[in-house]
This record gives sequence, structure tokens and C-alpha cells, in this order.
Amino acid sequence: MSKELIRLRDLCMAYDDELVLDHLNLYINDKEFLTLLGPSGCGKSTTLRIIGGFTAPLSGDVLFDGVRINDVPPYKRQINTVFQKYALFPHLNVFENVAFGLRMQRRPDPSDPKRNTKLPEEEIRQRVLEMLEAVSLKGFENRRTDALSGGQQQRVAIARALVNRPKVLLLDEPLGALDLKLRKDMQIELKRIQQQVGITFIYVTHDQEEALTMSDTIVVMDKGTIQQIGTPEDIYNEPKNAFVADFIGESNIIDGVMVQDKLVQMYGRQFPCLDGGFSENEPVDVVIRPEDIDIVPVEQGQLTGTVTNVTFKGMQYDIIVDFRGFKWLIQTTDHSPVGARIGIKIDPDGIHVMKKSRYSGLYGDYSSFSDEYDELDTVEPEEGGDEA
Amino acid sequence: MRRRNCLGSRALMALVFLFLYAPIFLLIVFSFNKGNSNIVWTGFSLDWYKSLFQNRLIMRSVYTTLLVSLLATAIATMAGTFAAIGFYSLRRRTRTALNTVNSIPMMNADIVTGVAMCLFFVAFFTFWGDFSVWFNGVQSVVVLPERLTLGFGTLLIAHVTFNIPYVILSVGPKLRQMDKNLVDAAQDLGCTWMQAFWKVILPEIKPGIASGALTAFTMSVDDFIISYFTAGSSSSTLAMTIYGMTKKRVTPEINAISTLLFVTVLVLLVVVNLREARAERTGQERHPVSQKLTQMLDTPKGRLFRRGAAVVLAASFLIAVVLLTGATNAQPVVNVCSWGEYIEEDLITQFEEETGIIVNYQTAESNEALYSLLKSGAGDYDVIVPSDYMISQLIEEDMLAELDYDQIPNYGLISDRFKGLTYDPEERYSVPYAWGTVGIIYNAAMVEEPITSWSAMFDTQYAGNVLMFRNSRDAMGIALAYLGYSLNTTDEAELREAFQLLKDAKEQGVYQSFVMDEIFQKLEGGNAAIGAYYAGDYLTMLENNEDLAFVVPEEGSNWFMDAMCVLKDAPHYNEAMAWINFIASTEANLANMDYLWYASPNQEALEQYPAYYEELYEEELGQETYDIIAAPQEVLDRCEAYLVLPLETRKLYNDLWTELGI
Repeated sequence: MSKELIRLRDLCMAYDDELVLDHLNLYINDKEFLTLLGPSGCGKSTTLRIIGGFTAPLSGDVLFDGVRINDVPPYKRQINTVFQKYALFPHLNVFENVAFGLRMQRRPDPSDPKRNTKLPEEEIRQRVLEMLEAVSLKGFENRRTDALSGGQQQRVAIARALVNRPKVLLLDEPLGALDLKLRKDMQIELKRIQQQVGITFIYVTHDQEEALTMSDTIVVMDKGTIQQIGTPEDIYNEPKNAFVADFIGESNIIDGVMVQDKLVQMYGRQFPCLDGGFSENEPVDVVIRPEDIDIVPVEQGQLTGTVTNVTFKGMQYDIIVDFRGFKWLIQTTDHSPVGARIGIKIDPDGIHVMKKSRYSGLYGDYSSFSDEYDELDTVEPEEGGDEA
Repeated sequence: MRRRNCLGSRALMALVFLFLYAPIFLLIVFSFNKGNSNIVWTGFSLDWYKSLFQNRLIMRSVYTTLLVSLLATAIATMAGTFAAIGFYSLRRRTRTALNTVNSIPMMNADIVTGVAMCLFFVAFFTFWGDFSVWFNGVQSVVVLPERLTLGFGTLLIAHVTFNIPYVILSVGPKLRQMDKNLVDAAQDLGCTWMQAFWKVILPEIKPGIASGALTAFTMSVDDFIISYFTAGSSSSTLAMTIYGMTKKRVTPEINAISTLLFVTVLVLLVVVNLREARAERTGQERHPVSQKLTQMLDTPKGRLFRRGAAVVLAASFLIAVVLLTGATNAQPVVNVCSWGEYIEEDLITQFEEETGIIVNYQTAESNEALYSLLKSGAGDYDVIVPSDYMISQLIEEDMLAELDYDQIPNYGLISDRFKGLTYDPEERYSVPYAWGTVGIIYNAAMVEEPITSWSAMFDTQYAGNVLMFRNSRDAMGIALAYLGYSLNTTDEAELREAFQLLKDAKEQGVYQSFVMDEIFQKLEGGNAAIGAYYAGDYLTMLENNEDLAFVVPEEGSNWFMDAMCVLKDAPHYNEAMAWINFIASTEANLANMDYLWYASPNQEALEQYPAYYEELYEEELGQETYDIIAAPQEVLDRCEAYLVLPLETRKLYNDLWTELGI
């Protein structure tokens, strides 16, 4: 990662008196794959639209290469966008869709520098065909866009944006409309294209798995503020608060007290851990990922609980275990029957301690999850038997 | 069970369609009829279509209709499209509210829209008059016209107004269907907003614009009511002309023009629907020819051609419009309002050729209708042809201009018998046009003995077979004549007695209906046995039904004189004088007398008519027929002309008529 390309300074935005962006600050490096991740309404799309120039912020600055570009209209920015649902022009074929931006371009006439001239038709043709080849759509030039599959349309949209050789590509939930299999392929494809063209991608999604797979940097957002910025590993392993922990992956979040460095107390019991830097006896949130929990015989367990639900997931079982009214999710390859008493054991590196935040107590309990399963279990097949 | 249901519902459906389309089918069939009846088929011919294209009144209104529809469509499509884009960019709640406001004019009764616009225009013209007088007084650089009238301009404004909602309605959904990121995408790729509009929005909503324009055009061609109230006297659309023609009788010519109108609208509707159907079949390949054409036009050269063609088209359209409207404005004009089928139309052409003055010829239904039209300020005619009593009333109310008889030398040809009559004793306001008597027309085959008395009009033996006038003056006049009272009585007791007579007869079911020109159809078709109407019209009916007979009853009757008058402040006074002089000539009177079968007031024409007839038809005009057209003096002596009634009596007439409940 090299130098800084875009800086957002103190951005505020509101629709209908509702604050969407709350003093947002962020810088984005050149050639970086950065993902804005968060639930719908968190302000990620608004941030993207402000960078693209489609929306003007209420206050704050957008800097591009150190120059303030708040008042530069979108058609003058060196930024292109792949829109949600692609926004391909239905009245143009694939070739003309991709050529659209090039046909709009003007550059100084070599013979008379005062005049601007269009790009020569031959150059347009060559660049469009090259780009179509790069996104594996060679031979599709004359197709109507509504005769393409979702994935193909997706690639036309990417080609249409990249053919202009922008410095930054904005992608607004571009894979949302694709099915799961295609989405996985396109994730890899997108990453490949980004590395090939070597420009900055700013990617908006609410899908945490997508973010983890592709990004160099993830920005987790909620309610118009940034919750955490970091690499996928940082975000997953060291979530800053209960919101991030819950949003990225599955988490059990338990109230605890930091007895001293590297020792945390939950359920009145002390657990060794690797975290430090808290005051003595400070209340904290403790995150334990479901895959970091080992099931052991009751007598060996640090804690004991009752299995209330078991779901087979292929690679593992998802087990809901009740520990004194607080339900945990445990992922294990071993089967335990519903109703069984089990013990659990957690290694020190499986425990992550976070400071209390406004999100404390909101996440990390699987009661509702298990209730759902309980209800499903009690549904008896009722209409059996009375018909021939 | 199910099968029978299916059969039943099919039969029902067939019935429904029969009900819907049989009348139109009949109309189309009879437009090809050789004879001039709508009931008896006498063979196939295209004569009525031929005569249609030679009818200048119809051709001019076709031209007006096309011009106003095309212009209104073009303007409304542009305005409506931009309005729809404006609506689209608004917040949802505001947009919904505006859409509701937009659809109200479409739901609104046309008549309300028409009357409201008429009132608005007239009010505006009054205001404009005051303003321009003041404005022209304080400065002399720009001279504003002081008198505006209803005409092509107001007609166009009205059409644009009622067309805009349809365009908005059909463009709006296209905009909402459009991916709202498209405009962003275009801007993202280097378009300014305006470029994005032309390159992306317009192609996307083009189907909506096209079907909006087609709908607007259809509505414009179709419209009668709103046009009727806003066209004034100088322009007449096709629908208005057809309506004017039907006042007398539905001729096969009307069938022919209605057929053409129906086919036009049908074709337009089919085109609209096909477009929509095609738009729904998304993904389907376009028609190969249109695809090829599109490809050809998509090359750089083709694009240049396309742009050039569009510019040339638009320019020539504008130039044509300017020339056409300019041309009609520059030519002298006279606006005439008369009755339906009350002139030999060749006379209009002849007058226009001789003088270069364009005649805008319109018709009104009755004296009372004309009067209320004039009172509303909507009828800005130059020449009108009211009947005697109405002339008195108009003079009394100072609505007529004095004529310049020096410009009407043919006034000298008018028989002295018809000069200085009670309605215009000083000969200052009128030149007689035609006269006649009212009598009973009856079907000799449907009554047992010849009718001689008005008693037949109240006789229960003919119950359900009698047709009575649908206007108070004539209906009451018949009752008064039967009772032996004056047609102009102001005695309330006499009037009430006459009214009671009518009322009793009505309650006893004597009258099949109260009619005006519908009487032609009914008597010709043998649907009624007895009716009271004008002598001249009897002869027209006789051509289609030989069983009909006519009598001026022994108790006496009404004889009437229609005369040409000029309205006060007529904008084309001198042209009006020229027209009146032309119509008063012996040649014009002969032609009119032959066409109308109403008597001419021109002494020479009265004398020459039998010879004229013989020359034209190579047969003798019987004395009996001549006496029906021009009643001999002893018949006239039994008859009485209507005089204007005092206001009090007019009010009583009104009240009684309302009480009769027609």
C-alpha cells in the first residue's frame, strides 16, 4: 500500500433530519481494495455516493490527491462506478454500453490544441474489445444487455467503468443480485481484475464474508460512524466492540470483569486470557468464537451447561448450550444429543476481551436463535391420516 | 355443468359485443348506400365519400381538426414529458398528490371543462380589452389588439390543456420503471445532466412518450364537447361539423365521415396497443426491418442523416404552421351563424371566389340556443339569421348593429310585402332570408282521413304516434291556435288553458316524443304518424316517403320570417354587408329556395322559381308544391307571425315549460 489517494474529512450527511453520516473521517490509499461494511442504513452507500459525486455532503470535505473536489461534478471526476443492479443502458447493446464513456470523452486536438476532439472510432473499438476480453465477454459485442445472464451483465458493468481507465472504481453491492455460487466466483474474479488493473477499489457490501474474502482493508460502519478500520484478520480476531464482533462471524459475547491483566472473570469463574491494559476489576465484554470452544466431560469443564438444540451443518454441528439462562453457540465436529450435560473448555487465545460500549448487552446471546429452533421442534405434523 | 356455463357465457359475450358494435356496423354499411336513406338499402356506391371530399365545410373542418390535433399533440407531448420528469424527481408524497391533481381533469366531465374554459377565456378577453385600451393609451410603440375572440388560438390552448395529463400519465410509469441509477451511470461516464437526458432518459421513456402522443392525438381528433365551447365562430372541428350536420337529419354523408373518423381512431388505438404489447414482450427481438433500419441509422453517417432529417422536419412543420395561420389571418373573413342545412353550400364557395372573403359558417339549434350563446359572450359572429320575434328581442336589447343599406343594393329586390314587418318596422337592422309556415305533416297511410285541424295534435286516437315541437313557443303556439287565441297573447288565463291542453295530451300519452330535427327520421321511417313542423322540411321528407302529406290547419298557424342581422361590434362589418348583399341576390335566392324548399322573400326569385325548377329538373313544378313552399296570400292571412313577448310572459312560458317536464 502506497500513498494516500482519497481523504474524507468530517463528513456529515442527513436525509429528512435523520443523521446518516456523523463526522466521518477516513483515508484511502492508492491501489487499495477497501470495503465499507455494515448493515443497511449504516451510511456506507451514502459515503460511496459522496465519493462518486452523486450526493453532496451537508458538511465536510472530500479530497482527491490532496485537492478538494466537493464541487466537481461526477462527469469530471477520475472515478467510475459499478452500480447496484448494474444500471446498464437497455437501449444500447453490449459494445455501445462499454463504449459509452469513451464516446463522451474529449481531448485536445493534436493539430489544433485549442479545440477538443472526440476519440477516434478505431481507438474506441480497440479499447472496448480489449476490455470485453479482459472480463471474458469476447464475442458478446452485439448482444442486447437484457439477453445476458446476471453474471454477464455484471461484467459488462465492470468493463463499462474500467474502460475509462479511472483511478478509483466504486462498487455498490455489485454482487447482491447474483446467486451464491456465482457470487463466490465473481469475488475471486473481482480481486483478480483489481490486481490486474492496479487501481483503487472501494467496495460497499453488507455481506461480511464477501468483505473478508476480497478486502485489503475493511471499514465497519454502523449508524453513520466508523466502528473499526483494519485488515480482515484484525477485524475478525480483535473486534473493537460487541457490534463488530457480532457483525463479523458468529460470537458469544458475555459480561465479564477484568480481574487483572490476562485474567478475566465470567460466571464467577476466572479464565486465563492474553489481553491486558484494563483497570483492575473493570467490567468488560468477552468474545468467544463458537469454533474456539472445546467440549469436554462435565467433570473436566470450566463451565457446565445443557444442550438445547443441535443442527447439522455438514462440516460441523451448531450446538446451542444453556449456561445458567445464557445461551451459547458452539461449533464442533462431535455430536452431543439434546438434553445432555456437557462441560466446556476455552484456551486463553480463544478469549478476546473488549471495553464496554454502547453496544454492550445487545448482541451475543443465542436465546432467540434457539427459541426459533425450539418452536420448529414443537410443530407436530397435524394433517396426517384422515385422507386416503 | 361447466360446458353449459361456458356456452352461456359465450353467448352473453357475443350479445355484449353485438350491442357494442352493431350500431357502428350499421353506420358503416349505410355509408356505402346508394340512396340517401338510413333504413332502405338500395345498392353499393362510394358516392357519399365522393361528395364528402367535395364538401368544403367538411374538408375545412378536417383541416382544422388535423392542424389543432397535431399542434396540440406536439406541444402537449413536450410539456407533458418535462412535467412528468419534474414529478418524478419530487418526493414521493408530493408526487402522489400531484398525480392525483393530474388525473382529475381526465375524470372531470368534458362539459364542465369546456364551459369552464369558455368562461375563463371570455373573462380574460374582457380583462385584456381593458388592459390593452389603457396600454395603447399610455404608449404608442406597441399597439395591442383590443378585441380578442374565441377561435383557433383558444381551441389550441384547450386541446393542449386536456392533452397534457394523458402524456404525463403515460410517461410517468416509464420513468418509474427506469433504473434510477441510469442517470447517475450516464453522469458517471462523462455526461452532463442535459446529455444524460438526451442519451439515456429519452431513449428509455420514448415508448411512453410515443404512446402519450398517440393518446393525445386520438383525444384531440375525438373531442367534441370541449372544442364546441372553445372554438368560437371562426373554427370548427370535424366533430363539431358532424354535430351541426346532424341537426337536420343523419345523411349518408355523415355516415361516411363518421366511418372515416371511426377508422382513424381505431387505427390509432391499434397502433397504441400494439406498441404497448410489444414493449411488454421484453427481450424479444425487434422486427427485422426496423432492426435493419436501426442499424443503418446507427452508423455515424446515419446519425447525421437522422439529426438532419429531424431538423428539416421540425423546421418545415413550424414554417407550415406559421404560413397557414398567417395566411388565414391575412385574408378577410366573415363569421356566419345560421341553422343546420339552411344554405346551398355552393353559394359559400361562389361568394369566396368572387370576393376573396373566407366564410366561417356555423350553425345553432334554435333561436333560444343562439340567444344564450350570444349572451354568454362565446358567439362572436358577424352575421346571424334569427327569426322574427328573436330579432325584436335582440333589437330591444341593443345587440344588433344598424345595416348600411347603401352596401346592400339587392335589398331593393325584396318584395314589399316583407319589408318593414313588425319586428323591424323602420327597416334598420335586417334583410329577410327565407320564410315559411308551420303545419301538420302526417302519414296518409297511417291515419283514416285527411287531417285539417290542430285537434289531431291532441287527439287520443293517435296516442303514441304524435310528434310535438320541443320548444315552448311553437308547442304553446299550436295549442293557442287550436283554442282560437292569438299566438302572441299575454293573457295568463289563455296561456294556462293552452298549457293544460298540452299537459293533458302528454299525460294521456298522445305524444310519442317532443322533437326538433329528429322528426325527419321518425316521419320518413314511418315511426310516427303525425307531427307539426315547417312546410319546407315537409318537401324534403316527401322525397323519402311518398305517403306524407302536409296541411296548414284551418284554425290558422304561425308563419315565420328568418332575416339576416349583424351583431353590434361585429369585427368584420363590411364583409358582413358583402355577404348579406350576395345572399339577397336573385340567383342566391333561387339556389337557396331550391335547396331549402323554404320561400324566398325576393320578388324576382318567387316569380322565377317555377321556371328555374323546370329548367333544372326538366319537369314541371306543380302548383300544389309551390303553394306549400310559398304559401298563397289567403293562407298567410290565416297565419300570424310571432312577436317578442313581454318579459313577464316569457317567464310564464319558461315556468310552464318546466312544469311540463320535457
